[in-house]
Amino acid sequence: MAASSQIHPLISCQDLTKIYVMGKEKIRALDGVSLDIFEGEFVAIIGSSGSGKSTLMNMLGALDQPTSGQVTINGENVGTMRNNKLADFRNRTIGFVFQQFQLLPKKSAKKNVELPLQYRKPKVRDASERALHSLDLVGLKERADHRPTELSGGQQQRVAIARALAGSPKVLLADEPTGALDSKTSNDIMALMQDLNRQGITVIVITHEDDVAAYAQRVIEFRDGRILSDTRREAAA
Amino acid sequence: MMMFASLSLAASSIIERPLRSLLTSLGIIIGVAAVYAMLALGEGAKKEVEESLNSISTRTMQVWPDWNRRRSSQSRPSMPFTETDVIEMRSINGVYAATGTITGRSYTIATDRNDVDGNFLGVDPDQLKASGSEVTLGENISFADIETRRPVVIISEGIQQRLFDNQNPLGQSLKVNNVAFTIKGVATKADSDISFGNDDLFVWAPITVARERIIGGNRFVQNYVSSIRVVGELGADLDRIESEMDIILRRSRDLRAGATPDYRVISSRGWRERAAEQTKGISFLLAAMGAISLLVGGVGVMNIMLVSVTERTREIGLRMALGAQKSNIMNQFLTEALLLCILSGIVGLGLGFFMSKFAMKTMEVELVFSPTVALVSFGSALFIGVVFGFLPARRAAQLNPIEALRHE
Repeated sequence: MAASSQIHPLISCQDLTKIYVMGKEKIRALDGVSLDIFEGEFVAIIGSSGSGKSTLMNMLGALDQPTSGQVTINGENVGTMRNNKLADFRNRTIGFVFQQFQLLPKKSAKKNVELPLQYRKPKVRDASERALHSLDLVGLKERADHRPTELSGGQQQRVAIARALAGSPKVLLADEPTGALDSKTSNDIMALMQDLNRQGITVIVITHEDDVAAYAQRVIEFRDGRILSDTRREAAA
Repeated sequence: MMMFASLSLAASSIIERPLRSLLTSLGIIIGVAAVYAMLALGEGAKKEVEESLNSISTRTMQVWPDWNRRRSSQSRPSMPFTETDVIEMRSINGVYAATGTITGRSYTIATDRNDVDGNFLGVDPDQLKASGSEVTLGENISFADIETRRPVVIISEGIQQRLFDNQNPLGQSLKVNNVAFTIKGVATKADSDISFGNDDLFVWAPITVARERIIGGNRFVQNYVSSIRVVGELGADLDRIESEMDIILRRSRDLRAGATPDYRVISSRGWRERAAEQTKGISFLLAAMGAISLLVGGVGVMNIMLVSVTERTREIGLRMALGAQKSNIMNQFLTEALLLCILSGIVGLGLGFFMSKFAMKTMEVELVFSPTVALVSFGSALFIGVVFGFLPARRAAQLNPIEALRHE
């Protein structure tokens, strides 16, 4: 699979630079990063805090735009998109998984999973079925009517993954997905991601834990806004 | 996101915090109720004025001798009015009816079998017209009756009931202080007639007959009348009519220019207008109260929406990350503010309705409930919702998704 998709990278970053202005100080969060991610890859981006990995994730998730350089995702230049286009692009292309799950506490698991479909245009008619299918993919179909407060941390993160999958995105973008979980649950979640990746979904995980990164085929290490290393492995742990 | 989705979202957000929503809506509820009551009261006052302008009693001017005139050795007693005054007034442009009346105090009205104390008035044909009475049976007194001094009378329905058992009394005979009359007609009795007790017992006779045979003449003036009543036509300029009446009276009484008249013209149009003014005053007070409540209520809504936006910053960030556009977020919070105001508006309308009903009973003011009244007061709640919901909604829509997601 990797061989055939290498011709057209799914995500392509060209000389990405992001500068934050804090008072008089200019902080160079990303400093000329160039990188290609191909369809079907399982990539871990690692680095300590302040290394620029979160900034990169915001760019890859089309949540933020670079000061200079280019981000092309699925053939579209994210840097020139306006707000509404950007929102629509996120909705179709990116599936987010957050460290704190970010589920709506008063809504059922199914309602939470349906959330991205609410913002899809044209209107999704089978949102309910698609939400159930997504929950099935993460093994939580039976819990569709439970509220997040009635679920364990691992189950909540599974719901969040189901939510990310519901919109059939190109990329699953997970920011410290195991940061709020114990190690056993972390392993379950990462195994699930690996499983989803084997089914063909591109997965990018941002983490500072080597254990988590070990599940990926490719590990990109960041330091001071630059790529320190970019390692590919044939077989994952 | 479709309309229904943002509506149900707003509804659940309101229901999830019942106490807060209730407290927030209190200002709007009171405001809408006050606006509603104000408008109903204003409409009522308008209707009352319109009705009174159409009624005979507001178009009526009565001329009486000035009883309160300061007596001194120089001033002569009040001159009586005459039938000539009445005839001249009847020809004033815009006069609907002009009538002269003589009356004494109480009279014994009797048939062969029965008698009763009642009012006896000497009148002309305009009398019934000027007091809003109507002949229900037989005929009105005519000018010929006055001229030829025919001993005929019209009786009120009260007399018909008391002396004739509601039977047809036409052509029958009736005695007033032992003077015999033939009954010519029966008429309704209008509230505005002068009476000395026995409000529904009236006998009207041709003025000449009444004067010469029962009430008695005046030593100086042959054709005197005790009082004059002039009614203007619908929409006639009553002030002009009154000043022309003044000219006629001053001329017939030889009053020098600037001399204090020895008569008074009394009309009810003054106090009707003052009553309307007073209602307007109350209306204004309610409007001020309504406006202030709505304003305070609106600020309350804005405040609670700002709190809501802050509380749900992460939710907003999440929704944006998942693909919500600025307009989606804006709509969500605007809908919530609007829904809060709509619900408050409905409760306020109900409260206003019952408050007004209560006020109508206790304060004896008239209120008019029309769809316009409801619509305007409800609309003011909607307006408040949009105006005061806008700022918090915009603040929510302007949030940066990255920072919003990190919000604790």
